[in-house]
Amino acid sequence: MSSIRCATVVACVALAAISLSLSAQELALPLKPDSVRFAVIGDMGTGEKPQYDVAEQMISNRKKFPFEFVIALGDDLYGGSNPSDYESKFERPYKLLLDAGVNFYAVLGNHDSPNERFYKPFNMNGQKYYTYKKSNVRFFALDSNYMNRQQLTWLEKELQNSGSDWKICYFHHPLYSSAAFHGSSTELRLLLEPLFIKYGVQIVFAGHDHVYERVKPQNGIYYFTEGASGELRKGNLRKKDLTAAGYDQDRSFMLVEIAGDELYFQTISRTGLTVDSGVIPRVAKTAGSSSWPALRAGHVDLSCRTVANAIAF
Amino acid sequence: MKHRIRVTRLLLWLSLFAFVAPGFADQTQTLRDKEEARDFKIFTDRVQAYVKMQKNLEASLSTLKPTKDSAQIVEHQHALAGKIADARRAAHQGDIFTHEVAERFRKIIRSEFHGPEGRLARQTIRQDDASKVIVRLHVNDVFPEGIPLTTTPSTLLLKLPELPQELSYRFVGRDLTLIDTKARLIVDLIPNAIP
Repeated sequence: MSSIRCATVVACVALAAISLSLSAQELALPLKPDSVRFAVIGDMGTGEKPQYDVAEQMISNRKKFPFEFVIALGDDLYGGSNPSDYESKFERPYKLLLDAGVNFYAVLGNHDSPNERFYKPFNMNGQKYYTYKKSNVRFFALDSNYMNRQQLTWLEKELQNSGSDWKICYFHHPLYSSAAFHGSSTELRLLLEPLFIKYGVQIVFAGHDHVYERVKPQNGIYYFTEGASGELRKGNLRKKDLTAAGYDQDRSFMLVEIAGDELYFQTISRTGLTVDSGVIPRVAKTAGSSSWPALRAGHVDLSCRTVANAIAF
Repeated sequence: MKHRIRVTRLLLWLSLFAFVAPGFADQTQTLRDKEEARDFKIFTDRVQAYVKMQKNLEASLSTLKPTKDSAQIVEHQHALAGKIADARRAAHQGDIFTHEVAERFRKIIRSEFHGPEGRLARQTIRQDDASKVIVRLHVNDVFPEGIPLTTTPSTLLLKLPELPQELSYRFVGRDLTLIDTKARLIVDLIPNAIP
């Protein structure tokens, strides 16, 4: 009887190991021609070993998935912004990526000095908020530390004028988060979400909470928190109805590919384990329709895969 | 008969009051609005004077353009802070947030923090409250390196007078500070602005 139990345990361990090694090796992204490929990191600027480990993982994954640029979700430099901070918390860990011509597009976190916007490798061009386009995707990089009227007016105008198929916003504070430490920035949500809904933003990335979380679509919009690319609050996710998937056991980063009307994503841990992946189809906004997100929510079929044993709540 | 006359008189007075009172209320409101506009105009003028001075001082330094050289960014910040602090040696708390202006701000902040979004506004500033590590800042102090700037509640920002991009409102504990974002310098502050 005990030998049967023992054999069962061995078999389970072997299966888990196989599944882990598969998920560690598999690339869940289709590598379609002419697709937009990028990586997502947040709250990374610690200058400590885990940040360097994540950076190495990004470099090694770039051999399989040659992403063109990286979006950085704030807290790019913790503890100050002296030249030694820029060096040890950004230039050194990402040296191979920078040397390979990978551009970083950063936003400011609450730990960042606003003067980091003058640091050329962050591509902020001296602005606290800015926009840029990659193929059929328009990115809006916002300053959620200081969402004033000026910025909101700018955002509305830019969203309105954008004819891009995909509209992606990113900033530091998450509008939805199930993490215990900070949680959702509800007050910011009151101002931003109506604009996102009105102008058809499909995807939002944020950091601040030091975990990874994919939130169930809210009013048709997909929210991701990736705030664990350097810092980590282990075990900080509190499972709520909000969470579609999450990972709070180690550091992580995301790889994203947008090909036509589909956005593929893969979230990878510091050790190379795929902790979440999936595809999000783009649903075009009907002109003049104000109720599209509600309709959309009912029609969107999000097929996502997660490694069950990597999701720890 | 007498009773009927009394009732008629009372009704007449009441209708007269109902007719005149809104006019008085409107006038009082208009007066208040005018006073508020006057106070905020003083504030805006002083803010603009500060920005003009800051730009003049910055013009004497080499222009800060986006650069790969992080030392240049840091040096520029320190040099600018030094020049401003020097030029404003005599500056005092209340030079920009005058007594009247500070009272107006306190009123707006009080109503925001006690209003429907008050709980959310408190939650926003509690997230990175710098007062946990800073005791109290003064005019011309440099905001300490490595300490996160508190996120300012956006719903409150929409109610306060708009600032040029060189400046921002930031809470440190219960104080509202006016910070020069490029020089990281405290330009002025309202103590105990949060009720």
